Amino acid sequence: MKDPSRLYRWILLGASVATTAYLIGAAVHENYLEQWRGIQNEYREILRAKATDARGRELLAKFRIELKQASVPGLNAVDRCVTCHNGIDDPRMTDVPQPHRAHPGHILDRHPVDRFGCTVCHHGQGAATNFRDAKAEDVFWDYPLLPPEMTEATCATCHDPDKLPAEQVPLLREGKRLYAEKGCGACHKLGGRGGTLGPSLESEGAKTRHELIMSNLAPPYTTWHWQEVHFRDPGGIVPASQMRNPTVIPSGALALTVYMLSQWKRDIPESYLAPDKIEQKFQALHPTPLSGEQVYQQYCSACHGNGAYSRWDKKFNRFVPAIRGAVLVASANLDYFVTNISQGRPGTQMPAWQQHAGGLMPAEVNAVAEYLRGGVPAPQALQLLNLRGDSTRGGSLFLKNCAGCHGVTGRGGIAPEVGNPVFQQAASDGFIIRTIRFGRIGTAMPAFQRAESPVLSEQDIADLLACLRGFAATPHAPAAPIAHPPLSSGAQP
Amino acid sequence: MATAGKEFLDNLLHTPQSVKDAWLRLGKTPESEREESQATFHNLFLHIHSVRVHLRTLRPTLTFGLGLMAAAGFLLTLVTGILLMVYYKPSTDLAYQSIKDIHFTVSTGRFIRNIHRWAAQLMVLTVLLHMARVFFTASYKKPREFNWLVGLGLLVITLALSFTGYLLPWDQLAYWAITIGSNIANSPRELTDALGVTKWMDPGGFQKRLLLGANYVGQDALIRFYVLHVFLLPLALVTLMSVHFWRIRKDGGLARPEDAPGGLAEWGGEPRAVFEPLATKTYGLMALVKGKRPPVNRGPENTVMSWPHLFWAELAVFMVTVAVTLILSFYFDAPLKELANPAIPENPAKAPWYFLGIQELVSYSAFTGGLLIPVIVLAGLALIPFLDRRAGGEGVWFGSSGERTMFTQSLAFSAVVTVGMLVFTVNYGWLRNWFPSIHQLWIIAINPGSLLVVIFAVWSILVLMRKDSVRLAAVSLFTSFLVSFTILTYFAIVHRGPNWKFYWWPSQWPLH
Amino acid sequence: MSRLDPPGVNRRSFLSLASLGSLVAALGTAAAGILRLPNPGVLPGPARRFKPGSPEEFAVGSETPFAEQNLVLFHDSEGFYAVSTTCTHLGCSVGRSQEGFACPCHGSRFDSNGKVIGGPAPRPLPWLEVSRAADGTLVVNADSEVPEGTRYRV
Repeated sequence: MKDPSRLYRWILLGASVATTAYLIGAAVHENYLEQWRGIQNEYREILRAKATDARGRELLAKFRIELKQASVPGLNAVDRCVTCHNGIDDPRMTDVPQPHRAHPGHILDRHPVDRFGCTVCHHGQGAATNFRDAKAEDVFWDYPLLPPEMTEATCATCHDPDKLPAEQVPLLREGKRLYAEKGCGACHKLGGRGGTLGPSLESEGAKTRHELIMSNLAPPYTTWHWQEVHFRDPGGIVPASQMRNPTVIPSGALALTVYMLSQWKRDIPESYLAPDKIEQKFQALHPTPLSGEQVYQQYCSACHGNGAYSRWDKKFNRFVPAIRGAVLVASANLDYFVTNISQGRPGTQMPAWQQHAGGLMPAEVNAVAEYLRGGVPAPQALQLLNLRGDSTRGGSLFLKNCAGCHGVTGRGGIAPEVGNPVFQQAASDGFIIRTIRFGRIGTAMPAFQRAESPVLSEQDIADLLACLRGFAATPHAPAAPIAHPPLSSGAQP
Repeated sequence: MATAGKEFLDNLLHTPQSVKDAWLRLGKTPESEREESQATFHNLFLHIHSVRVHLRTLRPTLTFGLGLMAAAGFLLTLVTGILLMVYYKPSTDLAYQSIKDIHFTVSTGRFIRNIHRWAAQLMVLTVLLHMARVFFTASYKKPREFNWLVGLGLLVITLALSFTGYLLPWDQLAYWAITIGSNIANSPRELTDALGVTKWMDPGGFQKRLLLGANYVGQDALIRFYVLHVFLLPLALVTLMSVHFWRIRKDGGLARPEDAPGGLAEWGGEPRAVFEPLATKTYGLMALVKGKRPPVNRGPENTVMSWPHLFWAELAVFMVTVAVTLILSFYFDAPLKELANPAIPENPAKAPWYFLGIQELVSYSAFTGGLLIPVIVLAGLALIPFLDRRAGGEGVWFGSSGERTMFTQSLAFSAVVTVGMLVFTVNYGWLRNWFPSIHQLWIIAINPGSLLVVIFAVWSILVLMRKDSVRLAAVSLFTSFLVSFTILTYFAIVHRGPNWKFYWWPSQWPLH
Repeated sequence: MSRLDPPGVNRRSFLSLASLGSLVAALGTAAAGILRLPNPGVLPGPARRFKPGSPEEFAVGSETPFAEQNLVLFHDSEGFYAVSTTCTHLGCSVGRSQEGFACPCHGSRFDSNGKVIGGPAPRPLPWLEVSRAADGTLVVNADSEVPEGTRYRV
C-alpha cells in the first residue's frame, strides 16, 4: 500500500511555497512598489539636479524616502499629501511637473503646511498615501478633493470673504453677490434668514454625496460637481425641483457653487480664525439692518418680480400678487404691509418674515414696508406696436391663453366680455396692449409680458390685438376665423 | 575543585544538548513506533491526538479537512486580531481614523487587516460546511451527540464574533448593519406590540439595551462590541473548541462504520505484530468500560501511527488555509466605507454575506425572520442526534440506504419551492401590500419565511411516514434548509438593491 | 450505612442537598447581579425633547425634516404634527418618497401620514407629541407617541 501521508506532504509543499511567495510578494509590494516611493525617487533626482549650491546640497543630503505627514491636531487632521508633494514649500520647485511642484502663490507664507495641513483647504482624504484614495472621487470618502478653481470656498472657513482681497476670492464674492441679487433668500435659509420653501442652505457645504440625488448626474459623483450642474439645470438633476433657474452664465453657476461649498460651520479652534472672521461672527449676532430695497431684492423679488404686476406662477400654480401696485398702495396702510410681511399669509407660499421666523429684524420689516409703499417703479414707456397683426394666428393664441376666462369668442366668462362693442369702442389699442402686457392689478388678469419671463412676444400681442378687434366686426355671429383656427400654423408663445 | 571545574566546563559544553533533552522529552526524531507514540503522547499540543489513527481518517474526501480549516481560520484571526489591537482604538472619535492608519501607514497593516477579514470569512464558511459534512456523514450519532451540540455552540459563537467585529471600524456599513442587527434583537417587540403587552413585558427592549447600552448605536455599543469581540467571545470559543477537540478523541476519533475493514495497515512492507494475548494480563476491563472487544488476536485495526501521518495531513490543511487566506488578502482589500453617519442610512444596508439569507427573511418579518426561524433552526439542529438514534451509516457520506436519493429529491424540491416563493413575493408582494390594514400578527405568522419552514416540515414528516426512517426525514429537512438558506443568501447578495428592491444585477442599481 | 438501607433523606444527604442548593442559589444571585450591570439606570443619549423653533417659522403646508432627530415636522391648515422617520421595522431612517416615506433597508413603504402601505414594517411611523414650551417655541417629545391625526393647534 502507498504511504498514507504522501499526498499531504505534496499539498503541504505547495501550500507553504505559495504562502512564502505571497508573503514575499506582499513585502515587495509594500516596500518597493508603492506609488509614493517612485515619486520620492523622482523627487530625489530633481533635488540632485538642483543641488547647485550649499543649501541645495544640504536639502538633498537630508532627503529620506519615507512616509511624510503634516499632523495638525488642532484641525483633527493628519495629512499625508506631503508624501508625494515633496516640493510643496520649496520655492525652487516652480518649474517641475506635479506632484513635485511648489504651492502656487504666496498662500503658504501665511498658511504653513505644518500648522494647517492640506485638507482644511483642499478637502480630499488626508490619511491616504496614493492619488486615487487622496483624491477620493470614487472611493468611500465624504469630502473629495476640490477642483483648484473651487478651493477658494474653504477660505471662508477662517476668513470673512468680504475682508479678503477681491482677487483672491473672486468666485466666492461673485457667488455671494449673485445669491443676494437673484433673491435666493426668498426660498432658502442662510445665515438664519430666508424662506422655507426650499431646503435650508445653512450647512450646504457640509453635505455628503449621499444627501444629494446623484441619479441624473454624470460622473464624478461629488457634491461640488452636483452643485455646479444643478445650478445650470435644477430640474435636470432634481426632477421635482421647484427652483427658478437662477443663472444662465456658466461662471454664475461656478460662483454659486463656490458660495454654497463655503457654507460649512466647522468647529475650528479660535487660534485658526482670522480676526475678521471673529468680527464676522460678531456681526452675525448684531447685524446692521439692510435697506428696504436690499431686503426686497434678497427676499422678495424672486417671487414678486419688481412687484408692480401680479403674475401667474406655473410652479406655485397660483397668482403671485402685485405688492407695489398703485391700487394696493392707495388702499393699504403701513400696518397692513408690516403685518403681512411679519406673519406671512398662511395657506400660501408666503412665509412669515419676522425675526424668529424668516429672520428679518423689525427695522428691516419696516424698511421693506416703506419701500413697498414707496410705490411702483416708473411705469414702463408704452411703445405702440408698429407690427401688423395676423388675426388668424391671434385666434389660436386667444384660444390658448385667453378663452379660458374671456370665453371662446370673447363673449365673457369669469372675465369681461372683450367682444362687447362698448368695450371695443372705449378701449384704445394702447390700453389693450398694456393690459395684456402687464395684467390688471387687483384682478385675475395676469401679465403676459413680464420682463423676467415673457409669455407672449411683441408679434403675439399684435396678433391678439388684431383678433380682438375682429370680435367687434362680427358682434353676433360666432367669429368664423376663431371657430376653426388653423392650429397647425399657430406659433407657440 | 578540579573535578567541579571540569564538571562545570563539561556541563557548559553540553548545555545546548541538555536544554534540548529537557525541552523535547524524546529529544530526537522518533524512529520506532514506540518513540512515535511517545512523541505524540508526551507533547502538550499533540497529546490531544491518539497515537494511532484509522486510515479512513486520512482520506481527504471524508472530511475535506473542513473542521481543521475552521480552526486554522480561527488561529489566523486570533493572531492578526491581536496585532490589530495594537493600533485599534475603540472610540467613536478615533476608531475610523485608526483603521485608516492601519490601512495606509502601518507597516503590513493593510495586509494584516485583510488577512483578519478573509480568515474570518473562511472560518464562517468552513464552519458551515463542516456542519454539513458531519450531518451528511451521520457523524453526530452516538456517542458523538454531545460534540454535535458543542459544534452548534461554536457555530453560534463564530457568527457572533463576526457580527461584533463588523461594528468596530465605525464606518457606514458597520453603523447600519449593527443598527439593523440590534433592532432584530429588539424584534420580539413586534410580537409584544401586536399583542399589546409591551408595557408589561419587553424582552426585545431588554435585549437591545443589553447589546447597545443605549437606545441607539453609539460609544456604549462600540465598547460593548469591542469587549465581546476581543475577549468574551474568543474566550468562549477557545473553551468550547478545547471541549470539541477533546471529545473527538474521547468519542473514539472520527466516526467510522462498525464494519470498517480491520486488520493491519501494511504500509512500508513490514508486517506489524498482532496483539497476542498474554497469559499474565487480563483484557476484560477495557471490554467492560468501552463495551467493545479488546483487540486481542487482532491487528490494531486499520490504523497507522499519528506521528507522522496525521500530523502531515493536519499541517497540510493548515497551510492550505493560510495560503488561500493570504492569496485572497493579497488581491482583495477588506472594505471600509465612509465614516458612520447616523443621519444617512446606507442604501442598501447589507449585512455580511452569511447573514443575508436571514436579512431576506427579515425583510418579510423582523421577528419571524430574525429571531423565530433562526431559533427554530438551531433547536431543530440541536435535536437531530437525539431524535435520530438508529445506528448505521456513520462516517460514510450518505451512508444509509436511500440517503443519496433523498438528498437529491430534497434539493430539487426545496430549490423549486424557495425560488417559487421568491418569484411570487417579488412579483406580487405580500399580505401588507394587499391588505394594508391587516393585523401584524397575521404577518408574523404567515410570511414567505414561515411558509418555507412549514412546507419543509411537512415534507420531512411525509418522508418520515413514507420511508419509516428518522434519518431520512432528517436528511430531507437538513437538505431543504441548507438549499433554501443558500438560495436566499445568493438572492440577497445579487438581486437585492437599494430600498431592498429586486434588480437583476447590481450594475442596475440607481445612484442616490 | 449500607446500600440496603431504605432510601430517604437522612442527615448526610440532607446536608449535601442543602449545600448544593445554597451553592446554586448563591451562583444564581451572583449571575443576576452580573446581568444587572449592563443595564444602566439612565440610558445615555441626547435629550428626547426637541425644540424645532417657533410656530411662525413653519409656513402652512410646509414640512421640515430634522435629520438628526429623525423626524419631520408638518404644518397644515389644521395644525402641527411631527412624524418619526425611524422605520418601525429595524430602525433605519426612512426617506421621503412620492407616496410618502420609503425605507432604504428592507423596502418598507409608508404614506405621508406614516401608515404602512408595503414591506415588512409592523407598525405605522409614530406620530410624536407636539406642544409648546413656556417661551412659545414648539416642542417635540420623541418619547411620547400620539394617535395618528393628532394635531397641535397654535
